[in-house]
Amino acid sequence: MTVPLLEVRDLVKHYRAHGTVIRAVDGVSLDIAAGETLGLVGESGSGKSTVGRTVLRLEPLTSGSVRFDGNDLGSLSSAALRATRRRMQLVFQDPGGALNPRRRVGDAIAEGMRIHRTVAPGAIRDRVIALLEEVGLAASDADKRPHQFSGGQRQRIGIARALAVEPALLVCDEPVSALDVSVRAQVLNLLLELRERRALAYLFIAHDLAVVQQVAHRVAVMYLGTIVETGQARTVIGAPRHPYTRALVSAIPHPDPARASERIVLAGEQPSPAKPPPGCPFEPRCFHPAKDARCRHERPALEGLGERRVACHHERVD
Amino acid sequence: MTPLLEVTNLSIGFANPEPITAVDDVSFRIDRSEVIALVGESGCGKTLTGLAIPGLLPSEARTSAGSRVVLDGNDLVGMPEAARRRIRGARIAMVFQDPQASLNPVMRVGDQVIEAIRAHGPVPRAEARTRAAALLEEVGIADAAARLDAWPHELSGGMRQRVMIAIALAGEPDLLIADEPTTALDVTIQAQILELLDRLRRARGLAVLLITHDLGIVASRADRVLVMYAGRIIESAPTAELFRVPRHPYTRGLLAAVPRVDAPESRLEAIAGSVPQPGRWPPGCRFHPRCPVAIARCGTEAPSMEPAEGPHHTACWVATGAGS
Amino acid sequence: MMASARAGLGCAAAIAALALLGPPLAGDPLAQPDPLGSSLLAPSGAHWFGTDQFSRDVFARLAHGARTSLAIAAIAMAVAGVLGIAFGLLAGSGRGLVAATMSRVVDLALALPRVVVLLVLVAAIGALPPAGLGAVLGLTGWPAIARLVRGEALALQHAGYVTAARALGATPGRVLVREILPGTLPPALIALTLGVADVLLLEAGLSFLGIGVRPPTPTWGSMILEARPHLGQAPWLLLAPGIALVIATAAATLLGDALRHRIAGDRA
Repeated sequence: MTVPLLEVRDLVKHYRAHGTVIRAVDGVSLDIAAGETLGLVGESGSGKSTVGRTVLRLEPLTSGSVRFDGNDLGSLSSAALRATRRRMQLVFQDPGGALNPRRRVGDAIAEGMRIHRTVAPGAIRDRVIALLEEVGLAASDADKRPHQFSGGQRQRIGIARALAVEPALLVCDEPVSALDVSVRAQVLNLLLELRERRALAYLFIAHDLAVVQQVAHRVAVMYLGTIVETGQARTVIGAPRHPYTRALVSAIPHPDPARASERIVLAGEQPSPAKPPPGCPFEPRCFHPAKDARCRHERPALEGLGERRVACHHERVD
Repeated sequence: MTPLLEVTNLSIGFANPEPITAVDDVSFRIDRSEVIALVGESGCGKTLTGLAIPGLLPSEARTSAGSRVVLDGNDLVGMPEAARRRIRGARIAMVFQDPQASLNPVMRVGDQVIEAIRAHGPVPRAEARTRAAALLEEVGIADAAARLDAWPHELSGGMRQRVMIAIALAGEPDLLIADEPTTALDVTIQAQILELLDRLRRARGLAVLLITHDLGIVASRADRVLVMYAGRIIESAPTAELFRVPRHPYTRGLLAAVPRVDAPESRLEAIAGSVPQPGRWPPGCRFHPRCPVAIARCGTEAPSMEPAEGPHHTACWVATGAGS
Repeated sequence: MMASARAGLGCAAAIAALALLGPPLAGDPLAQPDPLGSSLLAPSGAHWFGTDQFSRDVFARLAHGARTSLAIAAIAMAVAGVLGIAFGLLAGSGRGLVAATMSRVVDLALALPRVVVLLVLVAAIGALPPAGLGAVLGLTGWPAIARLVRGEALALQHAGYVTAARALGATPGRVLVREILPGTLPPALIALTLGVADVLLLEAGLSFLGIGVRPPTPTWGSMILEARPHLGQAPWLLLAPGIALVIATAAATLLGDALRHRIAGDRA
């Protein structure tokens, strides 16, 4: 088997706040192959964004390992890490805040090329224009400032800036959830086109399963710092096994009002990551008919066949 | 039968820094215990429309002369502010997107509900407290009597939104205007709040104006849908009808742009361009620069709402066959 | 443009005209043509603002004093600006013990009353040329700027575009200079403009106490000091530097305020 582009093993990220430990990410493992898209789905507080930020080493991890292209990021010197960062880039949720309001758009896009000296200074301008055109903007936009653009256009600028350093992996953290509905599809389509043309891999983080299934080959569903179900996007969404995934799938908007009433309404709320339940993290809200004492005391492992795995004492993948 | 609320020719504008129109000639009606969804993207005027009904527009906003907001036969626009204040809460209540900002952080939750109860009539404090606990229970807060003493920061976003709904119910209103009530909440909590609104409609005969950007929310919960674009209502239809045969190209585009589980495709049909903001609306039909089926007339003449079929209305030259 | 911004520009233009055009017009501020006969003359065509007790022309002293006072303010602001921005930036962007220590140093420096520190410093150093006085005023003024810049830098650490620059592989120094520094400059500039008023008043105060710029070099403060014994007979001695001081202070305050509104508007 070939080495995956990104290999995350037992990633743990704990924060300390006011004397308590917040277990934001509590043992997450995932792989992404070159050119592949993994959708990481979960609600706020599930730890999905923290996974993205620790994978990029924007935050240090508590334990576990992140290997990119076979290299353990934890063992790299800070200079080597900066060089590796060229190959893994970030697309933000808030395209406005991700752009420095004082810098011209062309300057922002050129920044990565200047840092890594991948393009001769005289050729930078042409590259910037080519990138702007690649993401559907005009050459003349290079001299404008971020506030002159709509949300969708700013997201295109953010994508162009990330592409400027020729990455192999894009971590997209809720890339369309701040955009108007009629504009979301444009940005999703752009990401799909770029993936095809540039053979990009995506770690696509989102709370919206409907959006994720549109772009992801595989999905991993997170709940309270752990992955509760993973597999091919089509299988997980078409035949979810974990009760939490089933509730999420049932919440996907359905254009047929008759079918929408099959929605599963979960009781209660996600517990605080400062006080996770001792057993299965989903146990307090679980509606599985076989739920028992074991669920309350023992955390189920993520088990299954190949890439299809479920963390539930009463669901097996076979 | 007269409707509970009838809005006619509502137009709202701002004078500064330059005169702009934000809501343009909006008309619709809501019957008792009906859930109407007002759907649109940022800057379409849906929030201002909601605020105009109980007279809560920001002071810089101006309602134009012909606007009518008639509740049970009484026009609220021409009404003195003192009379309108008696209607707010008692007949029309509001719930907003951000329950964090709408609750007073330095006042216990119970006191805020009790205050809302006592604002609508002299109720002894002890009785108000009992009723407050009952209201919290009605909106699905477990252990309601104990939660009366909680501070807002001790509650989750979903719980806070339930408290806001309890406060809205305190005056026994006939109409609840809910402006993006679930947008700030997680998917599984959204489902809970929507179910709660549905239950209240059935139990209390409450009419709901659900203002949202999310057509998905609408699908399961509304009787009728009004689609707004650039200050105008451009389509109005019973929900099932709207999803079955959307008539306006914008509505069709919105539905096509939402990913669907039953038809996963690699590419979504996107609407070109971006949403025009107030003051930058194009002439003619405001959707025509983004419209895939626009004809010459669309660029010069604004279409009005015309019947498409039965109760289904739309403002589109092409869809109503008036283009030829 | 706001009315206050226009008033501020007007005041600044008046002071600038006095400092630039005054000295060539007015002649020697130290000349004592007739110490016995023409001392303490009332304002007239020959002496626009009258003369002082040594028969020196008050207008000439006011105009030359404007140069001295403004030069002191400029030096003070340059020193406070460079030190304050550099220190604040490092304290707000660094991690660990160094940044924490720097922050404590700023807090400590702010806890000391500026006037007392100035008195001690000036008394210890002794006679100072105007440039030296400017430097000392700057040395006591930087902590306020540093605290402001530290706060801005701390807030900007969490800006999306700062994260973006780190994700691009920018070194910490590059992030500091290219992303964070530009964001802290507008508020620092406002504070420095407002600070000019403080420095003008402090310089005047020190000179009035006789420990600022030494006579016979004219500054507005020393002119007020020298006017004191003759207040009854020659109030113009006090009025001329007093009014100039008020106008200059007003200019700095109004311009600083206008700048703040302008920048706040830009951010909205």
